[in-house]
This record gives sequence, structure tokens and C-alpha cells, in this order.
Amino acid sequence: MSKLTPYLLVAPLIAFIAIFTYVPIVSSVDLSFRSWNFMSPEMPFVGFSNYARLFAWDDFWDSLKVTTIFAVISVPIRLVLALAIASYLKRETLSSRVLRGAMFLPTITSTVSIAVVFSWVFSTDYGLANGLLTAMGLGKVPWLQDPSVTLLVLIFINTWKQLGYDVIIYIAGLQAVPQELYDAAAMDGGRRFQVFRRVTVPLIMPTTYFLLVISVIEAFQIFTIINVMTRGGPAGATDMLVHLLYRTGFVLFDIGTGSALAIILFVLLIGLALVKARVLGAKVHYEA
Amino acid sequence: MKLRQNATTALALVAGLLFLSPVLYSIWMSFQTAQSYYRGGFEFSLGNYGTAVTKFNFARYLVNSIIVSGMVTLVGLAVSTTAAFAFARFDFKGRDLLFGITVATLMIPSHITLIPNYLTLARVGLLDTYAGLILPAISNGFAAFFLRQYIRGIPRALDEAAYMDGARPLQVLWRVIVPISRPAIFSMGLYIFLGEWNNYIWPLVAVGKEDLYTLQLGLARLYSVNPGEGLIDWPLVMAASTITILPVLFGFFLVERHLVRGITMGAVK
Repeated sequence: MSKLTPYLLVAPLIAFIAIFTYVPIVSSVDLSFRSWNFMSPEMPFVGFSNYARLFAWDDFWDSLKVTTIFAVISVPIRLVLALAIASYLKRETLSSRVLRGAMFLPTITSTVSIAVVFSWVFSTDYGLANGLLTAMGLGKVPWLQDPSVTLLVLIFINTWKQLGYDVIIYIAGLQAVPQELYDAAAMDGGRRFQVFRRVTVPLIMPTTYFLLVISVIEAFQIFTIINVMTRGGPAGATDMLVHLLYRTGFVLFDIGTGSALAIILFVLLIGLALVKARVLGAKVHYEA
Repeated sequence: MKLRQNATTALALVAGLLFLSPVLYSIWMSFQTAQSYYRGGFEFSLGNYGTAVTKFNFARYLVNSIIVSGMVTLVGLAVSTTAAFAFARFDFKGRDLLFGITVATLMIPSHITLIPNYLTLARVGLLDTYAGLILPAISNGFAAFFLRQYIRGIPRALDEAAYMDGARPLQVLWRVIVPISRPAIFSMGLYIFLGEWNNYIWPLVAVGKEDLYTLQLGLARLYSVNPGEGLIDWPLVMAASTITILPVLFGFFLVERHLVRGITMGAVK
């Protein structure tokens, strides 16, 4: 067997990864120090001025704020709902399998389709949401036109889409908790809620950390529903970071500033990913 | 007892349908005429699907999505399986470094590569081509990582017996490792296919020519050509949306278990 064999076997994958992931990271750094608009023949070196422009740009801070608000509101809601639902659905009965399947479907359904369907649900005149409100004798809400509610609508849709994933992960975590621990707690006379709070919640903590980090990372990468439903509006209310990156690079054609934003996003997300890696390493502390 | 069980199952079914009701209703809506939708009432028609296919080219988008997702899956599985085999079974200089580079791609957010990959493809003239849609998506180490873990669980004695019989490494991979790893490869194939089927931001950036649109792109454009209250032909948009999700729905019912296993393994293990 030739010494070259393993290198030939890994070469194709490594080539793809090098060309389309690692080289682009290096060129992003390079582009973030240059001024370019796709067209001009030169791309002069401009030092940190793209970063300076970004930090002086209201849109950037607004976008960071909107993204943070999105994460701060949506992540706790997802975790609490998912854990509650998972504790009901963790048993392997037909009914819980049916419900798990139904909840899981949106996570694998096209985000563009979901965005289109919910554009209808929340459309002012013909939508399901206002239809229900009118039927209850309440007034219509301009869900996608009122800056104070549109972000909440997107949070709702994203929660609906991702909840099934959180539930499945929580169920896997809950099923790994040894049954004896519940039995012991019940024997000690623990009431159901107390057992949940004192036994389940602490033991499931590693899964919670994992989902926490995953969903924060996800919040920082949301793009599709924004691009389809709101284009960042109304009045910048949903202009989250990746959407701003797309806008800067491919609408305003400001490659330098777009790349600077990409680098900032990269550093943020790598930081979060490293937290995730540490959490994963410490995950199953209750296994003997 | 039996009765109670049936009752909870029925309740679960209702809750599930309620949860999915926006999507289910959109499918229902796609089978009615725009006139009957806006007037109220229901008039069955396949006309929206006809319009989506003839006037808006959705048959072409469907074919494009199948070509792109299919190629990403096939090429992705091929390069990932061979690399996983090498990582799991060979001792070679630089192995840990190369494996580290592969696994690290899981942490790298794809958005940082958006602008540079666009420029790379522009430079070699691959924007607005199938290759431009397919190639960047293969740069993902997850399948190789996952399959390497799986292959390490296969007894080495099986490889050694085959080498003893005079097999060469690629034959061992093809005749011994691949057949045993079929469930893992299948799960990964689904995972890659789904991810690519639903991919939106890269086709949005890399494709301008209408006849290379994928379903996601076609649907988003169809919806955005007539924005504004009341002007939207909702039943037509929902027919296009149904064409976009239906293959995934069918696939889901066929392979639910594999899919859930693939996705949870990726997250938990």
C-alpha cells in the first residue's frame, strides 16, 4: 500500500474546504482593509477606515440591537416551551410520536415557504391572524407594517419553525436521565413539580446550555425570513446582522464595509461556537 | 384503558394538525381559484399549478433544485466517505491537523464566505452556472466527521481479512466499509440533501439568470413581484409554495426515523 493513499483519499474534501472556506476567510480579512465596489479597476488599501465607518454607522448599531433583542426574547421562550413539551412527549407512545412528528416538520420545511405562508397569515386584510381577531370582535393589527410588532411576529414564526428541533433534543436528553433518579425522588415523597425542579431541570442543564448556545448562534444568522417578508423593514425594525451584511455587500456594493461586518460577525459567532464546544465536552456529567 | 389511549391519540392528532394548520391551510388554498378565494367559498381547481408551471417556469425550478441538491449530495457523500475512511483507518503524518481543519468548518459561519466566494466564482466565470451553485456547498466537514465516528466502530478485522485476500484500499472501502455504513451514509445523504434543498442565500447571490433559479429562489421572486395588500394572488403563491415543500413532506413520511436520528446524532453526540 502506497504511503500516498491516505492523502489521495482526503485530498478532494480538503481541496473543497480550502478553496471555499479557508481561503475566503483570509480574503475577507484582506477585503475588509480595502475600498471596492465590484466595478472599479483598483481596490486601494484603506487601513481600518471600513471598521471606523461601520462603527459610526447608525444602521450597524440598530442592527446589532435588533439582533440582540431577537435573541433575548426568542431564546428563553424556546427553551421553556421546548422543555415543557418534551417532558410531556418523552414517553414512547403513539400519541407522543404523532405530536413529535408534527412539531418536527417545520424544522425541515423550506424557510422561504414558511415565510410566504406566514406573510399570508399576518397580512392585514386577508390573513388568518386578523381573521381570528375580527371574529372575536377585536380590531385588525398591521402586523408587518407596524415597527413595534413586526420583530415579534418574526420571533413567533422562528419559534414555531425551530421548536420541534429543541423538543427532539430535549427528549433525547430526558431519556438519558436514569429512571432510578426519578424513582428515588418519588420515593422520598417529592411532588411532581418538585421532582421536575429539583431533579429534571438540574440534570438536563447540559442540554439546556447546548440549546441556548445553538439558538443564540442561529439568531445571529437569521436571513431568509427577513429577506422574503420584510427586507429589514418597516423602518429598519427587522434589519438583523446577516441581512445588513447582504445589503451592504450586494445592494450597496460596499465590499470593504461588508467584509468588515463579516469579520465582526465571524468573531462573535466563533466565540459562541467555542462556548458550545466547551459545553459539549462537559455534557454528560451524570453518566457514571 | 384502550378507550383512553385512543382518546389521547386523537387529541394528539388534533393538536398536531392545529400546530401545522397554517401550512395545511396554504396547501388547501392552492387548490382553489383566486376568484373563489377572494369572494369566499371554495371552487376546486388545479389552475394555480398550471399557471405556476406554464407562466412562471416552476417545472424548471423543480428540475434545477433536484439537479443542484442531488449533485451536492452525491459529490458531498463521495468526498466525505473517502476522507472519513482515511481519517478512521490510516495513520499518516498531518492526519490530526487535517481532521481538525475538517471539523472546524462546523464552527465557521457560512456568511463570512459569501462575498469572497462570489468573487472567486466571478473570476473563473462560474456565476450563473450549475457548478457555481453546487461547488461551494460541498465545503462542509460535518458528513466526514460523522462518518469517521461511524467507521471507527466497525471491527478492523473485516478490513484486514479483505487486505489479506489482496484487496486494495478503494476496494476495501467500497466492498467492506460502505455496505456496513449504509445507514449512516443514508442519514448523511438526507441531511445534506435537505440542507441544500432549502438553501436560499447562496442561490440568491450566485444566480441572476431566471432559468437557473431553484425553487426557493423562484418562490421568493414570485411572491415579491406582486407585493402590496390585495394585489397578491395568494392561491397561486401557495401552489408554488406547495411545489416547494411537497417533495420534503413525502420524503419525511418515508424516512422520518432516519432523519430524526441523523439530526439528533449531529447535535447530541
